[in-house]
Order: sequence, then structure tokens, then C-alpha cells
Amino acid sequence: MNTKQIHKFVNRYLEATDCSIIEKSPAHFTVKLSPNADRELTNRPYYWSFVDRVGAEPETMTFLFVTDKEKYESGLQTDPDPAKPEAPDSQASAADAALVRSFGFINSSVNAPRVPRQDVYFGSQRLEQLFGAAKSHGSFVYLFQESDKRGGSPFSSTPYTAWLGVNIKVEFACDRKREEIHSFGVSLVTGYCTDHFHDRLLEIRLTPRLPANIHVAKNGISYAKAQAIIEQALERKLKAYDYTWAGDAASRLQEELDRIDTYYKTLLQHATDENKPAIQEQYEQRQAETRWQYEPRVTASAINCGVFHLEGID
Amino acid sequence: MTSDNKTQNASDNGQTFTKRKLHPHVDLQIDRSWFDELQHRLSRNGPWDDWTLYQLAMEAEQAKRVESFEQLQCLRTLPSFEPMPHQIGTASKVLHEMGGRAILADEVGLGKTIEAGLVLKEYMVRGLVKRALILVPASLVLQWVRELNQKFGISAVAQKKEHTWGYDVVVASMDTAKREPHRERVLGTDYDLIIIDEAHKLKNKKTTNYQFATQLRKKYCLLLTATPIQNDLDELYNLITLLKPGQLGGQSDFAANFVVDKRLPKNEDQLQEALSSVMIRNRRGDGGIHFTKRFVKNIPLNLSPEEKALYDAVTGFVKERYDESGGDLTSMLSLVTLQREVCSSRDAVFLTLVNLFKKTTEDSPLRPKIWELVEKIKGITANTKAEKAMELVKEMNDKVIIFTEYRATQEYLLQFFRAHNMMAVPYRGGMNRGKKDWMMDLFRGRAQILIATEAGGEGINLQFCHHMINFDLPWNPMRVEQRIGRVHRLGQTEDVKIYNLCTLGTIEEHIVNLLHEKINLFELVIGELDHILEKLEGGESLEQRLAKVLLQSGNDQDLKRQLNTLGSSISQIRNEVKSSGSNPYSPGPDLLVKMDRLGQSVEVKP
Repeated sequence: MNTKQIHKFVNRYLEATDCSIIEKSPAHFTVKLSPNADRELTNRPYYWSFVDRVGAEPETMTFLFVTDKEKYESGLQTDPDPAKPEAPDSQASAADAALVRSFGFINSSVNAPRVPRQDVYFGSQRLEQLFGAAKSHGSFVYLFQESDKRGGSPFSSTPYTAWLGVNIKVEFACDRKREEIHSFGVSLVTGYCTDHFHDRLLEIRLTPRLPANIHVAKNGISYAKAQAIIEQALERKLKAYDYTWAGDAASRLQEELDRIDTYYKTLLQHATDENKPAIQEQYEQRQAETRWQYEPRVTASAINCGVFHLEGID
Repeated sequence: MTSDNKTQNASDNGQTFTKRKLHPHVDLQIDRSWFDELQHRLSRNGPWDDWTLYQLAMEAEQAKRVESFEQLQCLRTLPSFEPMPHQIGTASKVLHEMGGRAILADEVGLGKTIEAGLVLKEYMVRGLVKRALILVPASLVLQWVRELNQKFGISAVAQKKEHTWGYDVVVASMDTAKREPHRERVLGTDYDLIIIDEAHKLKNKKTTNYQFATQLRKKYCLLLTATPIQNDLDELYNLITLLKPGQLGGQSDFAANFVVDKRLPKNEDQLQEALSSVMIRNRRGDGGIHFTKRFVKNIPLNLSPEEKALYDAVTGFVKERYDESGGDLTSMLSLVTLQREVCSSRDAVFLTLVNLFKKTTEDSPLRPKIWELVEKIKGITANTKAEKAMELVKEMNDKVIIFTEYRATQEYLLQFFRAHNMMAVPYRGGMNRGKKDWMMDLFRGRAQILIATEAGGEGINLQFCHHMINFDLPWNPMRVEQRIGRVHRLGQTEDVKIYNLCTLGTIEEHIVNLLHEKINLFELVIGELDHILEKLEGGESLEQRLAKVLLQSGNDQDLKRQLNTLGSSISQIRNEVKSSGSNPYSPGPDLLVKMDRLGQSVEVKP
């Protein structure tokens, strides 16, 4: 993700969670979080449990998210706006840091709310948290395609098909790892299964509300059947892959196990009876570690999924 | 569900998954928990999530996806610094060719910590490491935590309380980890990655450290050391057995195949070959490390008549005690301190005299003599050295660190500078971590002067300061070197200026002469001194030898002659050391075994 993509990502997250953006540029956002986003991002479980119990009006936090550090800081230098809360003067900040250590945090200006600055870059903990927040509230959806056919006869009804869609992450791992993402959709009417389903969804407009003048065709298969179809499709696809890497990993594993065998068998031969149990234990521990390290495995897990009602009968 | 007999269903702590065979070597494991949750929500008609967040979740996964087995993913997540090419090369080799178990044995100054950090980060990004344990000497714990957090964005935690072990990435000292109650927690955990810094401390397999290390349960493991072998080829064997038992065969195979004598290897090419799959050693190029220049200036000072009178009185006092004791050296060493203290400040000598006074019995004939000395102290009104130091500081008009051996002198100087409206902050070994950091911050910020009694410890890296005043000199050359090392180190971009304040006609003059002219201490490369002292010492430290010479010599002439002898023997050793090239900063220090093919040669510029 480059800074532009991150900026867009942050923007869409803040809008989707109803945060109020106080100020923004292509390099930053100053934003007062919505209660939902605050719960998700500020790690203040005690505060929120207090608000929930007492029923108090929550005071959410305000942040300065900097998505493009260089651009933001060069903007600061050209823009002599004294209201900006941060002045990266090393001397002053060192002194502040020292004061914070002995007295705790001190608000530099008592009236202004504290606006902590956070740099959001790929790999930063804040972005990682935004990723997690998106996932925790973007996992299960139930949506309808918005019809493009406006002004059609109010008496005609468009047929819709319900699809089970799921995005799957597949991990290929041994002592190393790579990943793939697959997206399957199965028509609950016919059982037809398609690949790249997510891309298809991105091309249309979706809404949680049931549109007017449509009817959803009767499901021909159960959800469980649809799920089984997806698993079979995935399995069929994966079976066709090249597993040289796994073969290599397995032979590395065997090589390592052989080496351990030779070492410990000699050691056991020469050990006194007293020492044997300890050596045997270490031997087994090393074997277990080596399997853990090298054993090739493929795992599939869902990123998110949903039921999508799309135009037409497929 | 198909009734395929290869398919197993399992339910494990609420997670449902199935296993199918994909290939003779691999099973496919499918997690089905999503489907259960979806059905649950369908049956209750929601709640349903937001479509935008659904898309964002997918985008996040796409961005984080690890596309290939090979390419280093962590590099794009490190905006705050750029690793050097050999560090990246080392990290990829550990990840791709060594299966994540390796000895990182780069020479000092090439960044083993960075290499280990890269490996850790890469495994974390790939989701292969979640729990990691980093065992380091106690003095390096906080430095590691800081580096991992700042450079790598890894939330590492220093082990403090027992519950700290619950965190994913913990940095702890080996000594703590191996003690109960910690031991049980640590040995009871399966760590995805264990990093052990200064791993040469594990070379003896009879030690508790070694035995503890063998009991750790780990998937990946990195051992960091600049000196994988120092005295004995077995050390190397033991280290490798921790990582890959059997890599060099059984103990007897190793002895038969690779060892002539414990310090002499054979079949070195095969040995290097066998090592190449577990060890990486990058060396500094022919240029060694390019340090900035170092300028040393001795500032000779004449004591004021009052100070001189005190010095002479104290010298007489010490000599008298020595003669009385009949040449017993051990009890005299502390008295020599008195003489040295006079050269520093009257406060220092006063404190020692008071302590001495307290120790004597009430009717001791010493008491009036000590009192006499105290009277002399009262006569002193100014400190020649302090005034000179202030003059120097004002001239420099820059950050400066002043080192002294004595707490009392430190206190005095703090007051002295404060009285002259100059901001000075103290630094000493007894301060806790937080206070030390605070003092560092102040010095980096507003304070012009740092007055330190302690040079050891990693806490004070002062690359931003390039002036140093030795208010007095320790007699232990290693401590002098530590002082210099705080300022003159990698990352120092300016030439370093060192001033030694030296009072004429005192022992200080002799010491400065010895350290400067004879050992040439101020021009030695870091690490060289170690070798010189190692060769010199016959059980006695240089400090003890000096005291002995000082007490035994009858007069000044005699003293000069004896110091000269000592000096010449040291300079002789120095020349030997220089020519044998056993300086750790010079390329290719002597490691018993050839390791030139285990890494690359790197030119380092500060």
C-alpha cells in the first residue's frame, strides 16, 4: 500500500464509521472519532464500560492521523499556522519528554483538547489496528444489488438470485510461507460456482435495503450444500498446484530428523542409565521442534462472507 | 458434507475445521468457523456488517498478503530506517536457506541486532512468529526494547514482573529467565522464535546458562555473537549443538574430523562447508571502521599554593602510614586514593578523611594528624581545575561531557557551574533507568554540560557531543577507554576533542604521562587495549601496580624511573599487539577457524 492508498483507506474507514473529520489535506486528517470507532481504536475498555453502565454522554478522542509524513511536515514549514499543535523542535520536545517522565502528561494548552498525532504508514501499529477494525465490523454482510433500471414499469418485477459469497485466504507454509486470496460465489438457486466473485461485486452498487419491484428466486440448494461446493472448488483448484516446495520441505524435514537421530542415538548409547531419560526427552523435544519448523501444510480460512442478492437468474 | 473417507472433521475449542489430503506431503486444512457464524446470523436475521468495511477488510488482507516465499516483506514496513545491503542479505539467507536457525557472527559494528530484528519482523509479517523471546545481558534489555519498537515497530516488552511473560515479544536477561519463578514460565512456553544475544556466554556446556538454553522450546532460533570461538574449538561445537544437534557430527566425529588440538582445526574447508548452513559471519572490509579523528590535549595546571600545601601534607601522611605498616600494600591502596583525590577536589579528599576519621579509635594518634589535614582543606578557597574547566567550556560553546572519578567532585562541579549560571546535569551509576534517561534528555536539550562519574553501561550514547573533559583520570585504562567510547563511536560525525586536566608536580602528572605517552591510550582503537592488558597482567591489575610503585619509591627520581620501566614494558606489548593484528576492529581477527566464506566483506562508514 502506498501513501495514497493508505490515505484513501483511512478516509473510507472514517466515513464508514461516521467519524467527524475536522480538517483534512491529502497528507493528514484531524478527526473526532465516532463512539463506535473510539471503542475500536482507542483501547479504553474501562472508560467505555463506565459510559455504558452510567449512561453518560461519551467524550470521544480526537486524533491527528498523518498519512504522508514528508508532505505533511513540509506543509507545516511553509504554513506558519501557529495553531498547529506540534512543533518538532528537538530541544523543546526533549524537555517535554523529561517533564512527562517526572510529572506525568501535561497539557501544553489547557483549553485545547489533546490531539495526539499518529503517523499511519504501512507496517505501523495504527494501520494494523485499522485493518483489524475493518475486519471485525466487515465480516458478515447481507446485501442487495441496486437496480439500474429506473423508470421501468412499476408493475414488472426483476428477478434476483441469492449468492453465497466468501473470500478465502489460503496459506502455504513450512518453515517459509506464502499466501493466496480466493473469492468464491455460489448461486443458491442453481449451485453454479464462480471464481473472482469479489471483483464482480465491486462493479455493482449494493445496498442493505430490499429494492422495490424485485423478487428473489426460490433457493434450490441449502447453505450447507453451497459451502460444500465452495470447499470442493477450492480443493480442486489447489490440487492442480505445483507442490515442489512441499516436497522440498518434506525432504529438508527428513534430513533434519535423520541428523538428530544420528546425534542422539550415539549420545544415548554412551549415556549412563541415570542420564538416559533426560537425553531421551531432549531428543523427542528436538524432533517435535523440527516438525513444527518444517512440516508443510496448507490452511484455508475465511476473510469474510455474505449473502448477496444479484439481478438475474444464474 | 461428502462422505469422502480422507476427510476428517474436528471440533477444537469452538473452531471447526476439516482436513483433506492435497498431495502426498500436504494436507489442506479448512477452517469452517465462518460458516457457523453466518448460519447463526441468518437464523436471527442479523446483525449485518457494513459493505464498505467489508471491502476494506478485503483490501487490508490483499495489502498484507505474502505473495511469495522469497521476497522480504518487512522492508516496506520500515519507513524509519534503511538496513544496509549486507544486513538484508543476511536476513534473507537466514529465512530462505537456513530455515530460521542460525548463528549471526558478524564482526563488531556491522549490526547483528538489525539483522536479528529483520528476521523477527519478517517472520511476524508472514504470520510465522507470534511469540518471541529475546535473551540478552541485563544491561542491554532496554536498548533492545527501544530498537525493536523504534526501528521495527515491534511492540517488544522488557521483562519486569512475572505477568510480563504473557506478552508476545519479551526481552529478558538470561540470568532472570533461568531463575524461578520465571524459569518455569519460560520453559513451559513454546516460542516461535528465540534470539540470544552475546551467545558466546553459552559456549561452555557445563554452565547453567547452556543447560537452560538447551531446554528452551523453540521453532526458530538466532544466536548472536561476534566471537563464536575464543579459546577452544569445542565452544563452536557447543553453540551449534544448541541450534542443530549433529550438524558437525557427534562430539567424537567432530574431534576426529576437524580437531588437531583444541586450538588447532583441520580440514578447514570441510569445516567451513559444514558451518555455512548454520552460520553467517560478515567482516569489515580492509578499511576497517572509519572513525572520525580524535584530538587529545593535556592541560597542565599549577596548583595554587594552598592546594599544593594540602597535596604535600597528604603525600607525607600516606608515606608515613606506609612506613608504619612495614610495607603492607593491601591496606595502603585506599590511602593512595587520598593523593588522587587532592588532585580532583578538596570535597573529595574531605569526604574520605572524614570516613577515615570515623574509623579510627578515639585515642588514636592518627586523629590529630587527620585533623591537621582537614585544617589545610579549610584554607583552600578556589579549585584551579574547576576554573580551568569552566574556561574551556566557555571557549567550546558546545555540548561537553565532564568525567570525574568522585561523587564529591561531581557534586562540587554541579554547584560550581550552577553558581556561574551554566546548566549542568549529573549522571551516575546509581541512578535508576528513568532518571538516567531524564538526564540524557536534559543534556540533549537545554543543558550544556553533563557531569558523569560512570562511563560503563549502555545508557550513555553521546554521539551528539564531541567534547570531553577528563577532570581526573582513572588508573584503570579500561575505564578511560569506556569514557572515550561513549563519545567516539559509530554515529559520531564530528572529530572528537578530549582534554585531560593534569596538575603538575603530582602523581597525576605521572599517570597522564603513562597513559598518554606510554600506552598511547588515547590513540588506540577500541578493543586494542583489552589485548594489551590481557598480556600485561600477571594477576595484578595495572591499578595495583601503580599504587605499589608509588608507595615503594623513595623519592621522585625513583618513582619516575620505576614508572618508566612499567611504561616501556607496556609500549612493548602494544607494539606486539599492533603487529599481530589482534585488534577486534581490524579486519579478520583471529578466530582459530577460517570463516572467510561465511559472509561478505563490508565497508563501514559512520
